[in-house]
Amino acid sequence: MLVESLKLPKDICMGALKVTMTGCHEAWIENYRGILEYTEGLILLQAKTCQVAFEGTGLSIDYYTNEDMKISGCITCVRYQA
Amino acid sequence: MLELLKYIRGYLRIRVSGFSPERFMNLCSNKGILLWNIVREGDVYYMNVNLKGFWSLKPIVKKSGTRVAILEKYGLPFFIPKLFKRKVFVGGLLLAVAFWIWSSFYIWDIELAGNYQITEDVFQSFLENSQVTVGMRKDALDIGQLEKEIRRQFAQITWTSVKLSGTRLHIDIKENDAPITIETKKETDGTDLISDYEGTIVSMIVRSGVPKVTIGDTVEAGAVLVEGKVPIYNDDSTLRGYFYVDADADIVLEHTRSFAESLPFDYIKKEYTGREKTNYYLRVGSSEWGFADKKPFLVYDSVIRESRPLILEKLSIPIYWGSNTNREYQNVEHEYTLKEAQELLKEKLVLFLTSLEEKGVQIIEKDVKIDTDSSSWVISGEFLVQEPVGVVQETVRADQVDK
Repeated sequence: MLVESLKLPKDICMGALKVTMTGCHEAWIENYRGILEYTEGLILLQAKTCQVAFEGTGLSIDYYTNEDMKISGCITCVRYQA
Repeated sequence: MLELLKYIRGYLRIRVSGFSPERFMNLCSNKGILLWNIVREGDVYYMNVNLKGFWSLKPIVKKSGTRVAILEKYGLPFFIPKLFKRKVFVGGLLLAVAFWIWSSFYIWDIELAGNYQITEDVFQSFLENSQVTVGMRKDALDIGQLEKEIRRQFAQITWTSVKLSGTRLHIDIKENDAPITIETKKETDGTDLISDYEGTIVSMIVRSGVPKVTIGDTVEAGAVLVEGKVPIYNDDSTLRGYFYVDADADIVLEHTRSFAESLPFDYIKKEYTGREKTNYYLRVGSSEWGFADKKPFLVYDSVIRESRPLILEKLSIPIYWGSNTNREYQNVEHEYTLKEAQELLKEKLVLFLTSLEEKGVQIIEKDVKIDTDSSSWVISGEFLVQEPVGVVQETVRADQVDK
């Protein structure tokens, strides 16, 4: 309620994952904890409250830092798991 | 930009394998080590890591139970040591730098600006006489002395500035554009004004001196018009002495001027045969190399085109190249037609009339005719003109007369 009434960004206040996608070939991800699994067909990330799985083919990580990362390849599915 | 920065700082392509490469990546990101281009092939991960990050990988490798192998090394920190292994290259580089430093001790270009009356050739020969040449050492040049020398040598130069910028010597000069006035002596022995021509006085305004003629008088050439010897009388009208002044007056004399010019019937005209030979050459300073024929044609003239690339000009390097085109021609005799002759003679007449006008001469009457003699066209004319006269001549002093 407080976050909504003050119009604060949720990704910062609630630690929600932020995913930006350009088509199905590039994805920028912020606010994650780390990588749980990385194969050519699946990248599983741990966020504060959930896990996110990027599924596809030929997936690779262009860069990976503490702040953000970039995934490229052919992404077919983004799945959230509580 | 980012790529360039990565290249300057250096980076490695590494292979990560073992128990938990994902944990390895997470630990890296927590420690602030940048990883990029991460690709998985089978059980092996390939990634790039910067050189600084690589040195702090050891505890992470231990913790995550992975193994890291270096595949490739990129960037300046690896390139430079490799470069220094090439001894000939390093030697060449050092020699080039040494040559560059050595050549910067010399003057390689002289630039002159602000000259209108003094031609570059004249100035060039002056500089050569003063031992200032292209290729001289900078420390052999005394700029202050050169500035003084320029002002001493050329009276019309009122201001000079000589400066060295890099290997180029800039000489800026300013010429005196006001006419040079000759200072007159205050104490004078007296001067007269005498007539240049024979004629009749039509106007006369005397500012100083004693007029010896009046309007309407006919005078001979060389006759005194205004005398600079002013008599001083006593009260009883006897002559006491003379006071000498510089005679000054505006006197207009009406007289006849004649004009005659001739033009030969035939003249020689260059006619190009169309045969040309072009030679190219390279010039360094005053030495020239090229393939020049000694005498390509019997009669010919040459057109030389010389250029210097902008980069050499900016660096003040005296290397030029150019072409020398020799064009063959024949001397062909032609005869002027009446119309051509009339036009050319009229041009000469107009030049003469313009020169008269510049002197302030007024033309009252003119009579011009074009005729021929045995070998040429002749133009002759008589002009009745009114012209300002008065030539300065020293006054004959009274004591000189007595002697």
